[in-house]
Amino acid sequence: MSLQPIYILSTLLFSIGLVIVLVKRNAILVLMGIELMLNAANLNLTAFNKTVPASLDGQVFALFVMVIAVCETAVGLAIILQVYRYYHTSVPDEINELKG
Amino acid sequence: MSSQALISTLLLIALLPLLSALVAIVIPASYRWVTPLASSLLLALASVLSLLLSISQWNEPTLVWENTWFSLGESTVTAGILLNNTTLVLLSVVTFISFMVHLFSIGYMAGDKGEQRYYSMLGFFTFAMLGLVLADNLLLLFVFWELVGFSSYMLIGHWREKDAATAAAKKAFIINRIADLGFIIALLIIWTHTGSFSLSSFNFEEQEVWRTGAALCLLLAVMGKSAQLPFFNWLSSAMEGPTPVSALIHAATMVVAGVFLLIRVFALFTPLALDVVVIIGSTTAVLGALAALHQFDFKRILAYSTISQLGLLVAAVGTGAYGVALLHLLTHAFFKAGLFLGAGAVIHSLHQAQHSSHVHFDVQDIRNLGGLRKEMPITFFCFSICSAALAGLPLFSGFQSKDAILVSVFSWSGDLVWRQAFAWTIVITSILTIFYTVRMLWFVFFEEAKKTSLLTIQEVPTIMRIPLVLLSLGSLWWMVAFHPLDFSGWLLDSIQPNQEHNLFITWLSLISIPTLTVLAFLWFKKKKKRSTHAFLQEGYYLDYLNSLLVTKPVLAMSTVSERIDKRGLDGILHGFAYLTVGLAHFLAWIDKNIVDGLVNTSGRLAKGLGSIARSFSGGQIQSYIFWSVFALVISLFWFLFY
Repeated sequence: MSLQPIYILSTLLFSIGLVIVLVKRNAILVLMGIELMLNAANLNLTAFNKTVPASLDGQVFALFVMVIAVCETAVGLAIILQVYRYYHTSVPDEINELKG
Repeated sequence: MSSQALISTLLLIALLPLLSALVAIVIPASYRWVTPLASSLLLALASVLSLLLSISQWNEPTLVWENTWFSLGESTVTAGILLNNTTLVLLSVVTFISFMVHLFSIGYMAGDKGEQRYYSMLGFFTFAMLGLVLADNLLLLFVFWELVGFSSYMLIGHWREKDAATAAAKKAFIINRIADLGFIIALLIIWTHTGSFSLSSFNFEEQEVWRTGAALCLLLAVMGKSAQLPFFNWLSSAMEGPTPVSALIHAATMVVAGVFLLIRVFALFTPLALDVVVIIGSTTAVLGALAALHQFDFKRILAYSTISQLGLLVAAVGTGAYGVALLHLLTHAFFKAGLFLGAGAVIHSLHQAQHSSHVHFDVQDIRNLGGLRKEMPITFFCFSICSAALAGLPLFSGFQSKDAILVSVFSWSGDLVWRQAFAWTIVITSILTIFYTVRMLWFVFFEEAKKTSLLTIQEVPTIMRIPLVLLSLGSLWWMVAFHPLDFSGWLLDSIQPNQEHNLFITWLSLISIPTLTVLAFLWFKKKKKRSTHAFLQEGYYLDYLNSLLVTKPVLAMSTVSERIDKRGLDGILHGFAYLTVGLAHFLAWIDKNIVDGLVNTSGRLAKGLGSIARSFSGGQIQSYIFWSVFALVISLFWFLFY
């Protein structure tokens, strides 16, 4: 089976995630964009594993990535929640107290 | 007296009035009551000193004290003192009359706003006149001559808020300046031909034309200063000044300066020039007397009388009898100062009376006056003595000096018909003098009181009576000689002895003058009609003539030059100005658009670059990420494809 469609899919996913990160103002949506990009990477990892069928390194990497992504999302959401409580907003651009 | 002490005394006498002038200025306003007293005291000192000096130095040899003033190339101009009998007479007269005027002014000018300025200028006037009298050379004399003119300008225009006074002051000054042109030309001629300004010697070597020219030019200056035809109109206008000033100007300083100059430079005058002097003098005398007869202003009558008497003085010098002129100058100084101060007393007491009764009329118009002999007996008495001296009644000084003038004029005329005509002019002047004197006396003191009857008039204060009494005492015969009918006394014998006597003239005057006086009294008593001729009243329209001959051409000339200035010169100037402005606009455009443009462009460039650079670090997290990704992508491309 050709891997090209999978690459294209992961490229699309990554690009969509990147665009969401760059364009959306809300921090939660930005986190979601990051998740998309991570998933694109996972897809790539599993796809790359196809070239060396004997090992399962790709899949294991993907599992680690998922775990780290969950941690990251948990920490990020907690921060966003705290920020929201304090500033009554979850838009990072509006939180500019540290800006010179 | 040693000559050194003598010179010191002379300098002291001359400087005392100057000191008085300075003192009058520096005294603070809160002590201004001191000013009249201090000035009078200084003048009294000067007067006493000069009297003593005159008595001690009388008939001593001429003293010349010269110092080098300045040197021009090889020639040297000296400055110093020339002291002879003429100087002594003038010295005493000037200081004495000035002292009298100071005394009188204490009462007359009391409470005047410019009192200090007034006393200061009186002192300065006296100083200038003393300097003129003492000066030993023409250049120094000219300096003081001008100072006399300046101080008369200041005093005539003393009441500077009055337009008429300032106009009169300007008139006096300008007319004198015009006449002074003659003095300057004479100075040039004398310097060119003799190389010296010294008054003690003129050595014109057989240059009759230039000598006559210089003499006539000096005569021109004298005509201005001594108010001779055709310059006499300034003197009648000068009546706008305070009355004591008029007394000073008429008796001792300003107008006397001209006659004094004639006497000083008598040696310069050629027979031809002397004839001109007589013609000018006698014409002025008769015209002045005629005008005096037709004035209604108290002071103007006296002014024209002065003009007429000055004419007599000038004519007397012209006949060669300068001693006689000096004699008449002396007697005239006393009685004319007395007359003016008497007029001042009348005006002063009438003004005072007007203030208390709130009735206002022109107190100087003799038609408003009358009957003052009862209210002001002392003034009347002194005024009458001075008037008698002016008219030339026997037993008064005027009789002797006028007799001397008549005798000298007739001895000058001899058998020449034209000269006799001018001699008779002098006789007519004397007769007219009687008439205008009697007219003035009659209108002011005799006739029934007219507007003055509304006032309660009081005699003037003692301080003003003293000068009147002293001056009227000085108008008696003993001023000239102990013999009341003989003019050769102490003065004439020392200055120009051996004057011819003419018993016929003396006896004729002795009889005719009192007769004419009585006739004049009767005439004015009977005559009720008070018409006058505008021609005579206005002083022969000399003012009008002046404006026609001088003012109007000058004005026309200035109008023409104004046009030339406006059309021609201004056009060129404006052209230049427009050119400059246009150029400036062009330069401004270059500056704004090119020079400034360059600077602004670089500024904007920097600003744009700065804003681009700033936009990278704008605190936008997403833009940071974008640029990071952008850089990553570019480096990826770099690594993958190159």
